[in-house]
Amino acid sequence: MSNTRIENLQKAWQTIAPSWPLQSLIAVNPLQGLESLPIEDAMAFAARLFEEQSFPQELTLINRLTIKWVQAFFDQGQATITMPGRTKGLYHSWKTLVCFDDQLHNNDPGTQELLRSLPKSSLDAIDFCLKKLKISSDDELLFLTLTITTLPGWAAYIKYQSDWAQDDQSPCFANLQHDYLAIRLIMMTILWPQAADIVVWHNNLESNNSDIQNRMHALAQAESDYITPVLQALTKNKMPQNNPYNAQIAFCIDVRSESLRRALETIGNYQTFGCAGFFNIPVRIENSITKTIYNSCPVLVKPEYTVQNIMTGSEKAVAENLQEYQSISRWKKVYQAIAYTFTTPFVLVDFLGAAAGLWMMLKSLAPAKAVQLKHFLIAPCRPKMTCQIAIDTISFKDQCKYAYGALQSMGLTDHFAPLILFCGHGSATQNNAFATALDCGACAGHHGGSNAQILAQILNRDDIRNYLSKQGINIPSTTTFIAGQHTTTTDQVIIYNADSYGKDVQKSIRTLQQDLNQAGKINSRARTQDLISTTSWSEQLQDPVSRSLDWAQVRPEWGLAGNAAFIIADRMVTKNINLQGRAFLHSYDYTKDTNGLILEAIMTAPMIVGQWINSQYLFSTLDNVAYGAGNKITKNITGKFGIMQGNASDLMHGLPLQSVYIDDTTAYHQMTRLTAIIHAPCISIDKIIDRHTILKNLFRHGWMHLIAIDPTHNDEQYILDRNLEWKRRSNR
Amino acid sequence: MFFNLIYDCIYTDLLSIIIICFATFMGIIIASFSARYMSGSSLYSQFFSKIFQLIISISLMSTFDNFVLFLIAWSYSNYLVTRLMAHVPSWKAAQASSRLAFYNFMIGSMFIGSGFALLHYATGSMSIQYIIHCTDDSWITSIALLCLFIGAMSQSGIWPFHRWLLSSLNSPTPVSAIMHAGIINAGGFLLIRFAPLYMQHSFILSIIFVMGLTSAVLGAAYKLLQHDIKRALACSTIEQMGFMFMQFGLGFFGPALLHLCFHGFFKAYLFLNCSSSAQEKKDMTFVQNNLLAYLIAAVMSLLSGYIFASIEQIPMPCYDTNLCIIAMIMIATFQLAITLLANNIRRNLARTIITTCSMATIYAMIIFACEKMIHELNLVHPQPFNILHGIGLIILTSAFVMSNILKILQTQNNLPTWLNFWYVKTLNASQADPTTITTHRKGYDYV
Repeated sequence: MSNTRIENLQKAWQTIAPSWPLQSLIAVNPLQGLESLPIEDAMAFAARLFEEQSFPQELTLINRLTIKWVQAFFDQGQATITMPGRTKGLYHSWKTLVCFDDQLHNNDPGTQELLRSLPKSSLDAIDFCLKKLKISSDDELLFLTLTITTLPGWAAYIKYQSDWAQDDQSPCFANLQHDYLAIRLIMMTILWPQAADIVVWHNNLESNNSDIQNRMHALAQAESDYITPVLQALTKNKMPQNNPYNAQIAFCIDVRSESLRRALETIGNYQTFGCAGFFNIPVRIENSITKTIYNSCPVLVKPEYTVQNIMTGSEKAVAENLQEYQSISRWKKVYQAIAYTFTTPFVLVDFLGAAAGLWMMLKSLAPAKAVQLKHFLIAPCRPKMTCQIAIDTISFKDQCKYAYGALQSMGLTDHFAPLILFCGHGSATQNNAFATALDCGACAGHHGGSNAQILAQILNRDDIRNYLSKQGINIPSTTTFIAGQHTTTTDQVIIYNADSYGKDVQKSIRTLQQDLNQAGKINSRARTQDLISTTSWSEQLQDPVSRSLDWAQVRPEWGLAGNAAFIIADRMVTKNINLQGRAFLHSYDYTKDTNGLILEAIMTAPMIVGQWINSQYLFSTLDNVAYGAGNKITKNITGKFGIMQGNASDLMHGLPLQSVYIDDTTAYHQMTRLTAIIHAPCISIDKIIDRHTILKNLFRHGWMHLIAIDPTHNDEQYILDRNLEWKRRSNR
Repeated sequence: MFFNLIYDCIYTDLLSIIIICFATFMGIIIASFSARYMSGSSLYSQFFSKIFQLIISISLMSTFDNFVLFLIAWSYSNYLVTRLMAHVPSWKAAQASSRLAFYNFMIGSMFIGSGFALLHYATGSMSIQYIIHCTDDSWITSIALLCLFIGAMSQSGIWPFHRWLLSSLNSPTPVSAIMHAGIINAGGFLLIRFAPLYMQHSFILSIIFVMGLTSAVLGAAYKLLQHDIKRALACSTIEQMGFMFMQFGLGFFGPALLHLCFHGFFKAYLFLNCSSSAQEKKDMTFVQNNLLAYLIAAVMSLLSGYIFASIEQIPMPCYDTNLCIIAMIMIATFQLAITLLANNIRRNLARTIITTCSMATIYAMIIFACEKMIHELNLVHPQPFNILHGIGLIILTSAFVMSNILKILQTQNNLPTWLNFWYVKTLNASQADPTTITTHRKGYDYV
């Protein structure tokens, strides 16, 4: 294979952004591969690639067969009898099976012969097909691109499996991209000998420039509607405050933290911080009982340690918990052994039918009661236990590193309050395929409480504090670090192991807990109004807690809908402004960051993640069919990892309709691009942008906005234009 | 006068009451689920109006004694279901699913209509109750019963009428729940209504048995291969409906009625809960390789067969179709015991014995109690055991053994060609109808 062809293959795959499986739904910009183009051009190109209402009819059968085979290949546990030989890789296993596929060869002897004598490697197969289809070298790149983008969702999943799923990379996923392309090209060779026409079809598509212009106008309008008042309020807000706080609480940058922080600050004398919700602890977390492991850090970061989440308590209680887990998993096994075979399911249905009927009735008519009943039944055999994370697997050196890094990045290096709470977050929903999209993105779509626990434990160690004081961070001995978790669906905050601290600390924890409860109530009242005004009558009867327990609920919470700004500044700058839960808040104090390293870390990691989330919401709202997952009510889960619509379809990546729309036609999420607001000198921001192509692309091509509040110029506001030049911005 | 006319057309017995209760119960559950689940849908109120009509229509159908009224209610219920399936007007694949179901139901209604016409011709009456109590074994009645049976097959997704059911998953989840728990059972209801006539025609019962068996085995095979949750559930419905028809064929109309209700509950629950399927991990890695375990399991299955027979008061030794039912319970207990014994026989032996025996007892009691409740319908007439039943049992048992062998085989890398061949053929046979698959992403739409 020639080098240009290899290059073309790479370039063709670049048009597709990865899509994560349901177990950890990470937000990405569906047009990520086009970020090297100005946003207008990218949207116009994407419209022709992904938003076309129709496509060549010959692709119908090709896509149908592709879906059938990739569904079989990637299945992670739905089918009992799996695709034979799939450990050999996509192309090889397909090759051995496809000669029996009469939907493809239609019993035509010539085609059958062709299928039996396919090239050994997928690259050779690609060569063979391109030659046979007579694709000219000029058209080759576009042709390959179209072969991929005419089934964008599945291609996105392939992209994820080949580029991002490094951890559980099994050998059968090597060369996945080539394998997939080879399969599609072979099908084209057989079913559509004139496949070269697809390039002609694509080139004849009219791109609707006025449509794109309208979109850009609407975006700009919505952005300025939100940002202008915020910017006006920012400057007015400068009140130095030096009195000591009762407690300091660090939240995730998530937009849902903003409203809770605001509520909490009005209640008591608290200072709040924002930082990436994995608290700078890049770990995998293993459940000591179930032995399940997950990565609890951003996908851009590699986990460095595996830590165990262990149950602590009396030996008897631990044993009982283990026993209970074992017996539950034994019954699950028995159920599956009887349900997934021949002949025995008949008896199973008669045995469980009546119980299923009653249980279903309870769950539908009184969902909260059903959950209570379940807990009541399980409680006797599962003694309440406290969970502790065993941090001793992390080396002392790295503990120091994590502790220092975390405090630095949130700017909490002096004026320590006696009580400091690290508050992770997670959602609580029932029967929700998209549950992980509501969890902490910085923890790869998991709950962030464990990371908070780890950081608090590390910072409570004397030797760590000694080390920190040598680095200039003096934590008074009266300061205690504690950990908690914010359940975003119900706005409840729990504090972990509150009774394991000293008497005095317990007392202040109790006060803090009360204030958190009250703040949660205020916040949830505001949010519920949001939900009530927007959905049907029967929803109005439900409070957030019932929502979170309801198996029929399709809008348990609005997640990060509405997100519009990413503010990197001290909380003083944004305090008392109602940001409406639409802003990511990252704490940052430019005076403590003389060389700009902290800001660089924020701009290249959390801010990028913010942009991913923002674009996912933006495009899922813009066209929920092309970039979103479509309606939840007709979804179908395939292979336990992805969503299809109905009988079978493209893999529906992106957010479902119900996450961004109030009803079938009214959007809840206001479409905006992300506006970053940074409280730092323009010069230091410039230096950072200069070093990172990804930032240059984003700002130069209009994918996001950047506004600096320059303290060296009397806190004047400057906006970065597309030539990467600062323009002074006046607020009138 | 008018009321008398109406009164003549209605016949209410325990069967109609059971059907009405069942339909209302499912209707309430699904409506309350949908009240939240469907919120925001632009066709929200239409959806509920159709669900409401459907429950009324099914209830009326179960009480109508008059042919014509029965057929009208039957067809109207089916029509409502096809409208519910086509919930999204602009999504072509959903419209295609709806159309496919519509044609299927049309064929069903035509066969039932002809069956009724023939029965009317033979007896001169329009009353179902009158006809089923006529003892008449003319060939016309036989043909009429066959027609009704074909109608029931098309309604219940019995092979070869299973295609529409496999292709029906473009519907909203609650509609799938209604279909698989409700409307599909109408076929079973029809056969139970005419049970007295069918029981006089053992030849037709054999045909029903064979068709049921075919569906049960094919449905199970399809199910084990499916990669998405909803189609796996649809295949499972085909399998369970096949089993219900087997029960008809064996003369167990009463247990079939119970199975109809129990399966309805179970399947509706699985459909409504299917958004959780990604979180449920499947653990089928365990393979029992201890011979002693198989021996113990065999003993346990004999024991549970004995328990079942004695609770159900089946005289032993028996030479009728009760044998088939007992055999199936024995197979299930065998699987249960094998799994419970796991890889530590000594530790798990006591638990296995207690669990299998108590499960067999509970199961037998459930069936016994329910059968007592519907005793007055007089729906249990075991047939003499014949060669067909024997073959059926052998097929069911060997399919069970085969699936366990397959589980071991598929861990190997190079599989025999026949297995690959079988895999692809079965996979292809279990695909939805091509027109009902959304091949172009923008071909999907939600409004």
